[in-house]
Amino acid sequence: MTEVDIAGVGIWSEKFGSWDEFQAVLAGAEVESAGALKPELIPARERRRAPAAVKMAVEVMDQACRMAGIDATDAATVFGSGMGDMQITDYICRTLADAPRMVSPTKFHNSVHNASTGYWSIATGSHFPANAISAYSNTVAASLLEGAVQAAEEELPVLVALEELAAPQPFKSVIDVDEPLAMALLLTPKGQAAAPLAGISLAVRPAEAGNPAALHVAGTEFRNNFAAPLLPLLAALARGEAATTALPLSGSSMLALALEFPAAARTAQA
Amino acid sequence: MRLAIGQYTATSAVGAGLAAMRAAISNGQSGLRRNDLEHCDLDTWIGRVEGVEAVELPEHVAHLHSRNNQLAWLGLQQDGMLDSIAAIKAQVGPDRIGIVMGTSTSSIGRTEEAYRQLLPSDAMPPEYCQPQVHNLHSPGIFVQAVTGISGPSLTISTACSSSAKVFASAARWINHGLVDAVVVGGVDSLCLSILYGFNSLELVSADLCRPFDRRRDGINIGESCGYALLAREDLLDDADFLLLGYGESADAYHMSHPHPEGKGALLAMTQALHRAEVNAKDVDYINLHGTASQANDRIEAHALGQLFSANTLASSTKGWTGHTLGAAGILEAIITLEAMRHGEVPGTLNCDEPEADFAFQVTRENVQKPIRYAMTNSFGFGGNNATLAFGAAHD
Repeated sequence: MTEVDIAGVGIWSEKFGSWDEFQAVLAGAEVESAGALKPELIPARERRRAPAAVKMAVEVMDQACRMAGIDATDAATVFGSGMGDMQITDYICRTLADAPRMVSPTKFHNSVHNASTGYWSIATGSHFPANAISAYSNTVAASLLEGAVQAAEEELPVLVALEELAAPQPFKSVIDVDEPLAMALLLTPKGQAAAPLAGISLAVRPAEAGNPAALHVAGTEFRNNFAAPLLPLLAALARGEAATTALPLSGSSMLALALEFPAAARTAQA
Repeated sequence: MRLAIGQYTATSAVGAGLAAMRAAISNGQSGLRRNDLEHCDLDTWIGRVEGVEAVELPEHVAHLHSRNNQLAWLGLQQDGMLDSIAAIKAQVGPDRIGIVMGTSTSSIGRTEEAYRQLLPSDAMPPEYCQPQVHNLHSPGIFVQAVTGISGPSLTISTACSSSAKVFASAARWINHGLVDAVVVGGVDSLCLSILYGFNSLELVSADLCRPFDRRRDGINIGESCGYALLAREDLLDDADFLLLGYGESADAYHMSHPHPEGKGALLAMTQALHRAEVNAKDVDYINLHGTASQANDRIEAHALGQLFSANTLASSTKGWTGHTLGAAGILEAIITLEAMRHGEVPGTLNCDEPEADFAFQVTRENVQKPIRYAMTNSFGFGGNNATLAFGAAHD
């Protein structure tokens, strides 16, 4: 079993653009649409060139670091997305089918799966290790496990970002994601953060039949979005409630997650 | 840090398996050829693996068909790799083994094919509706399906450092007790995205790549696949080599240009040495990233010059295989292990007129020398760097 603390959290969708708005929506309030995504961390000139996938990730990573009051330059990063930047893949594959020599060099270098951690390290000046992974439909469990093991083994804060974009039309043939969603958790070694939001333990277990219930929030369940299975746990974090869940990790294993609130910890009122 | 390295294998343009690689390196025989990839009219050289198109996947994984998975399967069948995986499964159980694969573009070649044949509705044709193929974890899904390993599994995709970083994640998993052993691997196959993408950045050479040569003018793109078994030392007591250290860093500079002072490269190398508890002067050989791009080679030489003395052997082997991107990390880790096994350091193919004012001069010809400690560098877009440090298990 691996135990770490959650020192900060960030979230973005078209329905809620921050942790405050997520909490408000959970409480039944209406919030204005999150609208244009403008992560302040990326300078305006770079922001115009940055793909939506990068802007979503950098926004939630920045939210999590600011909430924790931890200097972003002191954290390693693990970016997890099951499908990666399907919008850029769509652009590149269409261009290749049509006029291959017209591929944009900027879009090409933005197409790497580690684009988000690349932009993040450039924006923050962090030289800490940056990872980018996929485990397809198991990406939430795999990314949390990777981040928590790294935090515990190397005694480092690790910023885990998870996101999935809406699928462009051809990709709907294989995965029909309607709505984008991004979230980030800043994981710190047990006891290192002065005022963590909660503790979280992770344990690998044999798979059980069935998946945990999806969370319906803001009139959606983020159907087929591989980041969405974390939402119920984030809802518990937002409410300051202890919770357990188990998410698929591999064909025959699950990752059991337990959210705990030590008596001294503040609740997640950002 | 000490982790045992069990069986390993690599397949690249110089051939399938270790024997072909060893012969090509000893003979100075490059695997590069004039670009003959279908649907690609670029004037360049490529490192294509012969016969990938003809590889048949086992029936139960036929739905995972893609060039990338064909290459993954060809590579996995070499050098008794599957037998070694079966043995460790029997020893510790399939749930105590993890899979960490590395790739930069996964099965995107298959997605490109689908896009050339999109239906009027903009949907993929039915034969291309392969959810487990059109994603970045396709190599991990494939290896899990054909090996029956049931522990944690993920795919790292950090451009050209991907399959170097698999060793770092695997080491953390084993040291943490999450698993007892990990099959690490890397696979990247030739595809149009990469060829035309690097062409758009004017990084592709029309000639054979010339790492560290003053006439170098770009990379040759290749494809390859490699695997290694990593385990707790007590589980593989006949292992010849150890993973002693790894270093991972970010340049924090530019998406496609390395840090001008090589800051990230230096950090990765010094971390790897620190974890390995090895002094720079004791490193016998370094397999370099050495892509033959103007910037990489200049900056890598600059970083090497700050850490290593002139008599450290160091070479780029991209003249044999081309730059195999997300698979380069493990391919070159295995070239390094083979150099240790046979006491033969590869030179730098096509480096005929070395850049004289570089801070560090690479090894140009093959050298016979016993190697105790060796390292390998992998640097990727997004300023993503990884260095691995290996040692002989026995004196």
